[in-house]
Amino acid sequence: MDRIGIVFVKEVIDNLRDRRTLGSAIIGALLGPLLILMLIVILGQVFFREGATKPLTLPVRGAEHAPNLVAFLQQQNVEIVPAPDDPETAVRNGDVELVLIIPADYAEDFAAGRPASVQIVEDSSRQSASLSVSRTRSLLNAYSRQIAALRLVARGLSPAVIQPLTVQSLDTATPQSQVLIFLNALPYFLMFALFSGGAGVIIDSTAGERERGSLEPLLINPAARREIVLGKLLAALPFASAVLLLTLGAYAVIFNVVPLEEFIGFRLSIDPLALAGIFLVCLPMIVLATALQMIIATFARNFKEAQTYVGFLPLVPALPGLGLAFIPIKPDLWTMLIPTFGQQILINQFMRAEPVSAANVLISAAVTLGLAAILVALSIRLYEREQIILSR
Amino acid sequence: MIEVLDLHKSFGTVKAVQGVSFVAPDGQITGLLGPNGAGKSTTLRMLYTLLRPDAGTARLDGHDITRSALEVQRRIGALPDARGLYPRLTARENIRYFGRLHGLAGAALETRIDALLKLLDMGEIADRRTEGFSTGERLKVAIARALAHGPGNVLLDEPTNGLDVMSTRAMRDVIRRLRDDGRCVLFSSHIMQEVAALCDQIVIIAHGKVVAYGSPEELRRQTGQANLEDAFVSVIGSEEGLER
Repeated sequence: MDRIGIVFVKEVIDNLRDRRTLGSAIIGALLGPLLILMLIVILGQVFFREGATKPLTLPVRGAEHAPNLVAFLQQQNVEIVPAPDDPETAVRNGDVELVLIIPADYAEDFAAGRPASVQIVEDSSRQSASLSVSRTRSLLNAYSRQIAALRLVARGLSPAVIQPLTVQSLDTATPQSQVLIFLNALPYFLMFALFSGGAGVIIDSTAGERERGSLEPLLINPAARREIVLGKLLAALPFASAVLLLTLGAYAVIFNVVPLEEFIGFRLSIDPLALAGIFLVCLPMIVLATALQMIIATFARNFKEAQTYVGFLPLVPALPGLGLAFIPIKPDLWTMLIPTFGQQILINQFMRAEPVSAANVLISAAVTLGLAAILVALSIRLYEREQIILSR
Repeated sequence: MIEVLDLHKSFGTVKAVQGVSFVAPDGQITGLLGPNGAGKSTTLRMLYTLLRPDAGTARLDGHDITRSALEVQRRIGALPDARGLYPRLTARENIRYFGRLHGLAGAALETRIDALLKLLDMGEIADRRTEGFSTGERLKVAIARALAHGPGNVLLDEPTNGLDVMSTRAMRDVIRRLRDDGRCVLFSSHIMQEVAALCDQIVIIAHGKVVAYGSPEELRRQTGQANLEDAFVSVIGSEEGLER
């Protein structure tokens, strides 16, 4: 047991002196929070600032054919501007978000009571324009309904005749849950942080140790391989935990100190207690990440190879996390049985201030730690083989 | 004392060691001499328990290398072929790490480290990080950490490889001093002159087998040659080991 501590202390001191590893761990920790902050600021500007309050700029061709429609639009806070010469190219290039074309026969059709056609030129693959397009569309529909109602009244009918249904929608999304769309990326960044924190230590103490030629002398010492492997594994944990804490600390600052309401129009915060809960949920994953890295770095032929493989590792558990951003999954028992997947769901629950079941936390922790234990046992077996010192 | 009993080791189809036996007594320097690839390093790696013999065994101070590996590791100080250091640790910290793994601690360990630093004339480099050390300086650290626990048996794999003349002389002095302390010193070399200058006893290995074994005097007598160089050539059948 003493020797586990000796290996642990040596690896911690050794790696604390490695500025490069520390630097990349800190960058890994802050990358996620910075990206999230940027997302909120930039997307917040697009989606919230440009809401109904800002006048909609609408390029119109043939405005002279429909003075009433144009007047209606102007009343609805729309700024009519002349359309570019080639509307389709301009929209395709993104020079304008959309163009409304009013054909020359509009006036004639309108006067005759036939459906008068107007055209919207849009690029539906362009997300940023979708708000303006849907706003234009609903204004045109509103105008259409208004005219229809007037025509019915003129013929002595009730406008209700052409409105068998009135659809009312009740949006239960709170501002908080709307902006949480951005936050779906947060579990992914946490995963990245907890994988990057200990990676340097693991690579240095396994592949690095072998590449330096210090593994063979080390293994001649009267220490069980188990003690050496455990010492090295444990040495990575404080680094990974520190990086995770730093990441969560950065989120705490972003969501509690930075005045986000200036960008998105309302207050958004994550309770520091929820962040503490997220930290606890992440701890078993740190052990699992470290054990996985240990095995991969031990198999790698050299330092470079180990760095490459270990670098790809966070993508594996991140994939289901990325999926979570699109498909909402409930915290059922089966999800808790999948290491890292269950935790990502729990992290989401903490962020949304939903009640988190203690049983789910414990089950996911137990399954994750169980898998980590198997991987650690496997690492020890790898170190007990004589191939470990033979050059590969 | 090291007793080697008919060791065998193969890697796939390559028979690296096929029947090596000898005894390295305490208070003597035993040289394992042979061309590159003769099986010297493989034999030593079995002695310091990193490789398991396919057949045969060896005993260190009576402890079997396959059955009591930990006991054997406690009794040997080894300088393996791979002798990398931890570049971010100082020379003293490198030595201390291995001393602690051997169960030493506190004042006893520090006294021991100071004695080794003095023995190997490392006063100036003791508290510098080993990054950027010369080959000779790195070797000194590697020897010192192998001796941190005061082992009775010292196994050195090509200890003078890559050293300049001055460092080689210093290294030889250290090896003689270890012998004079009554330790069993076993070292390997592919350089005949090196072995001739130091050894009380020579084990010549070629193609994984012991081809001659005895004191320099006995080897000359066995082969009927007047000098060791000719004796060496006659037993291994080539001049491979004569490079300098």
